[in-house]
Amino acid sequence: MNYALLVLASPASGLSNLSALRFAEAALARGHKIHRVFFLDQGTSSGLATSVYPQGEADPVALWAELGERHNLDLVLCISSALKRGLLDASEAARYERQAQTLHPAFSLGGLGLLVEATAEVDRLLTFGGPS
Amino acid sequence: MPLHTLNATPNQSAFAQCLRMLGPQDALLLLGDGVYGAIKDTEAAKALQNSGAELYILEPDARASGLEKRLAECFKPLDYDGFVELSERFPSQQAWY
Amino acid sequence: MTQTKKVLLLTRHAPYGGSLARAAVDAALAAAAFEQAPSLLFMGDAVLQLVSDQDASAVGTRSHGRVLESLPLYDIDQVFVDQTALLEYGLTSHDLAIDVILLDDPAMRQMLADHDHILSF
Repeated sequence: MNYALLVLASPASGLSNLSALRFAEAALARGHKIHRVFFLDQGTSSGLATSVYPQGEADPVALWAELGERHNLDLVLCISSALKRGLLDASEAARYERQAQTLHPAFSLGGLGLLVEATAEVDRLLTFGGPS
Repeated sequence: MPLHTLNATPNQSAFAQCLRMLGPQDALLLLGDGVYGAIKDTEAAKALQNSGAELYILEPDARASGLEKRLAECFKPLDYDGFVELSERFPSQQAWY
Repeated sequence: MTQTKKVLLLTRHAPYGGSLARAAVDAALAAAAFEQAPSLLFMGDAVLQLVSDQDASAVGTRSHGRVLESLPLYDIDQVFVDQTALLEYGLTSHDLAIDVILLDDPAMRQMLADHDHILSF
């Protein structure tokens, strides 16, 4: 089956963000396709390259990036949620005259239209939210 | 018929809302803080059981709670492979959090 | 994009306490812009998003009620509301910024069952 995941949960709080990651791994292992992982709201921090997680704890940014690269996943952060949280790729950093490029290269920025397209396309859509 | 995933303790509004929407044709998977709804002999666990829904609990999250031995037997433990399998069987998912 | 899936967008949060309420409405408007207008259901605290006469000018954000008033412009004409939650806050449909359809619990359960995908905000 073709899946899409909507990740609203912050990677820095609670279990839900990593839960989405584990779900994605398991879905791929069962032979499913993941059309897109769309990160929205607090979920967009999943692509923040400058975040540092404590030793001995899972690093969701690294884990998502690694999974994405291994399976060539489309990891998209909602651009308006991302910009508010300081997640900029090279072109957004230039456009808004900010000094740093903070988006991990395994992710891309995109509009909500990409979430809409995914819902039209896939057989299964799962939301990972909270805590709120 | 949706698969409900519940990531909220019995004291949060998401728990009550999930309970209102849960029907006998549905499945419920407790994860994150949702696992506290499965403690044996509590009102919360009884209410979930009375919904008639298929009941599951995400095993890694249950283990993290330290309450694994106190959970009502009607909640079947699932790993992530089981979670995906559940999503194959139920065409939609509603996430309560 | 052809409309192939029935999508329900279920929102459950109050308008200003977090960013999820706004994210939900933005997603609904985006879907409508691509002619994939979802069904919109306001449950629990989300009924507070709909209150008319909101004025957020003094709190540094856009009035959520004003954003919701644009829904009909995007051809989202049917907005469904959790009747029980509205009652719990002592409100009626006359207190709301847009026309809504009130649903009891069995009708909401039916809505959840009737859609291919649920976006849970």
